[in-house]
Amino acid sequence: MIKVLFFASLREQLGCEGLQAEAAGITDIAGLRTRLAAKGREWRAALASDQLQVALNQKLSSMDAAVKDGDEVAFFPPVTGG
Amino acid sequence: MPLEISISVQAEGFDPGVEYNLLRSENYVDGATAMFVGNVRDFSPAESGEQHSVAVLELEHYPGMAEAALTDIARQAAQRWPLGRVRIIHRFGPLAAGDEIVFVGATSAHRQAALDACAFIMDFLKSRAPFWKREFAKGADKGDWVQARNSDEDALKKW
Repeated sequence: MIKVLFFASLREQLGCEGLQAEAAGITDIAGLRTRLAAKGREWRAALASDQLQVALNQKLSSMDAAVKDGDEVAFFPPVTGG
Repeated sequence: MPLEISISVQAEGFDPGVEYNLLRSENYVDGATAMFVGNVRDFSPAESGEQHSVAVLELEHYPGMAEAALTDIARQAAQRWPLGRVRIIHRFGPLAAGDEIVFVGATSAHRQAALDACAFIMDFLKSRAPFWKREFAKGADKGDWVQARNSDEDALKKW
């Protein structure tokens, strides 16, 4: 399984803090994003943003990064700390 | 002095005076100490439209990654400048106007290194560390997420 997390406005839009995704058939983060977007209209709309940021195992990453069973992937909007 | 990096991501407040003393404690080789403190404002300077008042600022973070990202930024700074102690504190949870949000402190043998390291750390923290701000007007139970600014991303280019 792949542990998936959502933060900030994205978490609110989806009404979901996180989930476990079946790793079979997913090779990269883009594939995971496509799988999640198929969960419904809200998911498709929220995950379509070209501002969407992603972290793989708690490091900033990119949509073309490879993912495997046991990884942690987080999606979130651009950060606004400081 | 040998590099010492200390990172805290916490709900509690902090005392900049105490942090200064920790940066200086038994540190007789670094002649320079630079510090930055970020505080909560009571208004939101809307980039377009009118500014509005803010009663509560709430910070969400990604536990684990927040600490890792700040540590990584501190290490990058230490690779660029000869630093002694580096201290970063970032708060999360609900904060009121005037509250301290963030602390960055760096010591060095050289003034410019300490000042530049603080500026570098703040610039990368704003665009690379997983924190998100939400503003609440007085009495409002629904907040507005703060939008990231292009100027913050642009600020990285000077490094």
